[in-house]
Amino acid sequence: MAITAASTVEAVRSKFPQAVVETVDYRDEQTIVLQPESLVEVCNYLKQSLQYEYFETVTAVDWLERVPRFDVVYQLLSLSHRCYVRLKVRIGQPGEEHPTVASVASIWPAANWYEREVYDLFGITFAGHPNLRRLIMPKDWTTHPLRKDYPLTGFDLPEPHWGGQVPYTTDPGVGSEYYKQTLRTPEGRELNENRSKVNPSQEPGTKKPVDE
Amino acid sequence: MRQELEKKYTVEESQSPADGAHADIMTINMGPQHPSTHGVLRLLLTIEGETVLKAEPDIGFLHTGIEKTAESKTYHQALVLTDRMDYMTPLNNNLAYSLAVERLLGIEDQINNKIKYTRVILAELQRLSSHLLWLGTHALDLGAQSVFLYCFRERETILDIFENISGVRMMTSYICPGGLQADLTPEFEKLVRGVLANLPGRIAEYHDLLTSNQLWVERTRGVAVLTKEEAIAYGTSGPVLRGSGFAWDIRKVFPYTGYDQFDFDIPVGTNGDVYDRYLVRMLETEQSLKIIRQAIDGLPAGNYRVSDPKIAPPPKWQITGSMEALIHHFKLHTEGYRPPKGEVFVRTESPKGELAFYLVSDGGPKPYRWHVRGPSYANLQALPRMIEGGFLSDVVAGIGSIDILLGEVDR
Repeated sequence: MAITAASTVEAVRSKFPQAVVETVDYRDEQTIVLQPESLVEVCNYLKQSLQYEYFETVTAVDWLERVPRFDVVYQLLSLSHRCYVRLKVRIGQPGEEHPTVASVASIWPAANWYEREVYDLFGITFAGHPNLRRLIMPKDWTTHPLRKDYPLTGFDLPEPHWGGQVPYTTDPGVGSEYYKQTLRTPEGRELNENRSKVNPSQEPGTKKPVDE
Repeated sequence: MRQELEKKYTVEESQSPADGAHADIMTINMGPQHPSTHGVLRLLLTIEGETVLKAEPDIGFLHTGIEKTAESKTYHQALVLTDRMDYMTPLNNNLAYSLAVERLLGIEDQINNKIKYTRVILAELQRLSSHLLWLGTHALDLGAQSVFLYCFRERETILDIFENISGVRMMTSYICPGGLQADLTPEFEKLVRGVLANLPGRIAEYHDLLTSNQLWVERTRGVAVLTKEEAIAYGTSGPVLRGSGFAWDIRKVFPYTGYDQFDFDIPVGTNGDVYDRYLVRMLETEQSLKIIRQAIDGLPAGNYRVSDPKIAPPPKWQITGSMEALIHHFKLHTEGYRPPKGEVFVRTESPKGELAFYLVSDGGPKPYRWHVRGPSYANLQALPRMIEGGFLSDVVAGIGSIDILLGEVDR
């Protein structure tokens, strides 16, 4: 029996009726939105029974205002049946700093680095991942740059050692916590003046650790 | 004393497995400035004598936040960032991104054959130039210096074509959402035919230099083997997957931009070693020439971009005469276009493997999420599996054979 993307959606729907939140067909691409708890179960079924043996990518989308906040998006490909399907889980309750979703690296080894990248850039942890460390950002980085509340310009560097001038006094785009701590605002300048007291291993612009 | 030194200098993720019990096991650092890592790749190698026990790639030295930057640009502005990802195949990146934006806009059926054929010619020329560069540097890594000089000489002629049509040799941004940036120049056909006449003889020369060269065969055959099952499990694509014996080419399986109208074959290896990957790429260059020949013979006349003024700016002569055209021009260059809400994942076959773009639109003029699934990233993930258990000198052959480019790995 030939398996197509549409028949995959039907098969998953009938096999796991309680796991499927919704299915979307947009521009001939099939998306299955799943409950996060049943992700591994459905992935095992797709790999074993429907021959989705090729893992293309996993990434995340940060919908800052929405609850749950993150979409984790999986792209699967079946080499034998020449079809592809997209899985999606929605995670991240308010106040949850590092939302968790189960890792699929034991099913597809290819997921290993992609999950590390998502952890690195979005701060989503993958339960059961064999080696969940930062991959792209430096090891001592503390924040997750692809989140939408991370400023595009990054954090302002400390004032140059030769005493250059800061070009702006105020930034009209001030809104998030991070912006309040840059050089362009009074709070940020205060932080900068006290930077000799700041722990050198601390990233500029982040809050001080509580114990200091 | 030795124990203390080891405690101090052993890198956290690559400790010697014997914990200092054997004096001949040590952890060494290869890169990020090593000439044969093709960029800024750092490898932590645990070796026993000449045998590699463990390899741990360390990436991220070239991370420039392209995905984050692209999410603050309009769809058209983000095009130039794709050039800088895999800077040896900018036209293939442009093509993949343009196809993704076009699918998001729903204008795929407005792309005429002239655009499609031109895109195919340019993508295949870029594939040739990428494979020539790979062959030159790979052969240089393994000690064949003359091949490097010849390959760069041939690559120049291809870059001259890009310079002729787009004004720049590398960061072309020539293929754009909605068609091409500019019309083809009158010399284009002559230049392409020049390459078509020149290259087959040159490729035959490279075959003479390397394919049955005893030194080359001994350095590459049976080295850095990746079986078919491993290649699929690790998500490798392109020549690495085909070299391992699996016939998989996105151009054939999910044809895009009119590849189904051309007749070409997919070279497939058997052993999955460095030699097979070499042969697959060498034979691919011949297939690329075949595709270009068919496309340039059948290149139709037509517009070089879609006529929808909401997506492509109206021509200059209209702007000076028509208020409506002026408004369209202004809106396009200040705000850009707004694709409908949705998400697409478009995969193409770049010279290095499967290059795919995942775009999410929230209905605004900027992409809400802009994710790249690059071939080098997944292929590099399989590198430890290839080189562990082999000799230290074969690490260089292994890295060269997967044709990584760190600009695209780190993005």
